[in-house]
Amino acid sequence: MTTAPHPDPRLLDPKLAKFSPLRRILVHDDFTTGTHGWTELIGNHDQHGDLDTVDAHMSDFRPPQLSSCTFFDVGTHGAMSGTYALKVATRPVAGHTGVAIRRLTMSGRGRVQFETYLAYKAEAASAENGAATAAGGGRWDANNHPSEQQFGAFTVATDICDGVRYHNVVRYQNTDLDHRVRHRWMYPTVPEPTPREHFEGKVRLARTADFTAPDPADWRQFSAPQDLCFNEVPTKVNWHYLRWVIDTATRSNVELQVNDVVHDMSDVPVPPYDEEYGSLQNLLNFYVSVRTHTDVRNFLYLDSVLISADW
Amino acid sequence: MTMRQSFTAVIERNATLAGEFTTEPYEAAWAREARWFVRVLDATRRARMLVRTQISPDGLHWCDLDGGTEQSVDPGEGPLHSWPAAEFGGWLRLRGTVVDDPDDPDDPDDPADAPASVKVLIYLALKS
Repeated sequence: MTTAPHPDPRLLDPKLAKFSPLRRILVHDDFTTGTHGWTELIGNHDQHGDLDTVDAHMSDFRPPQLSSCTFFDVGTHGAMSGTYALKVATRPVAGHTGVAIRRLTMSGRGRVQFETYLAYKAEAASAENGAATAAGGGRWDANNHPSEQQFGAFTVATDICDGVRYHNVVRYQNTDLDHRVRHRWMYPTVPEPTPREHFEGKVRLARTADFTAPDPADWRQFSAPQDLCFNEVPTKVNWHYLRWVIDTATRSNVELQVNDVVHDMSDVPVPPYDEEYGSLQNLLNFYVSVRTHTDVRNFLYLDSVLISADW
Repeated sequence: MTMRQSFTAVIERNATLAGEFTTEPYEAAWAREARWFVRVLDATRRARMLVRTQISPDGLHWCDLDGGTEQSVDPGEGPLHSWPAAEFGGWLRLRGTVVDDPDDPDDPDDPADAPASVKVLIYLALKS
């Protein structure tokens, strides 16, 4: 008996077999082996390195952490692959956002796919952090845990420039700003405010403004709501598969798969900037962010990331 | 020998600290070595920062490392200060206070009621 060759020999590697890459793998980040270029996003500063010139709302996105997913009740949970995951954390301040970014450039045009295994959590309560009585916490019934409603939103997005600059954005809004459960996918209808717009006096945002699109009225839901697996308490980590396809040839979204649901994104608009930006030719950045809507730290964990392209 | 991993986290950036404070928790269980750097950007007259490294098993509950060895960050001694943290377990933060030395009654530029503050960058340099 003979065995047919595997259709994609790359996937014989167990670390890759959990992904579905396009033809060219650009990035495979297993966070048990380091941060792989994921770093804190910061706004721009002047020629003196004067940090007072950084936009307030882009000055404190927090350093990513290599986390063993360690909790007060069970100790080390560990990641999906190996011990460490990349953790992006907010401060315990309503509206605060943590952001980690991966910086690449494009050597072609076409479909680009971002895959990850992720988990999201609100911080467990302690006497010091006061999470048990913070806004958003619901009633504990031994199934649903108050902390689930203290998780705001996580976002996966791009910053791309091919002469025209634009951002593809997908956000999972777990709860809205009034802590009501939403479990919905959203996109912004406007491009992100930039440091240059601030420099030119067009925008000035507060420290906890939503940097992706500060006005809640500029966000729209797409596709149907989707329940994920928070798993009852803030100390159980279940990894979710996320696969997001964009097309840089048409500056558009294609589709978003999260676990067993595929959301068609072909009609989800990608608002471009009207103005041209220098110094950014072929920019291809991906960022992930986590945003809390209450005074409780929110965390986004990535086990690993794979970015592939069809060029 | 496998190349060692390293990561420098900016725990506070351009932050103005006054009174008592704690920094955000930072996970570093993968690191064998840790070293704090505090770069003072600005300070009120005679303000000093007194800080202790704190450790935690879970990022929620904290105690002092090394029985509470206190570091004095005195801007008068230069803009950059550093000290190591050894055998810290999995989590690190700083607990500190910004203090003001006694007023100088002979100095007309030294108002007694000016709150003491320091503007700093706090780095945590980690290595496996």
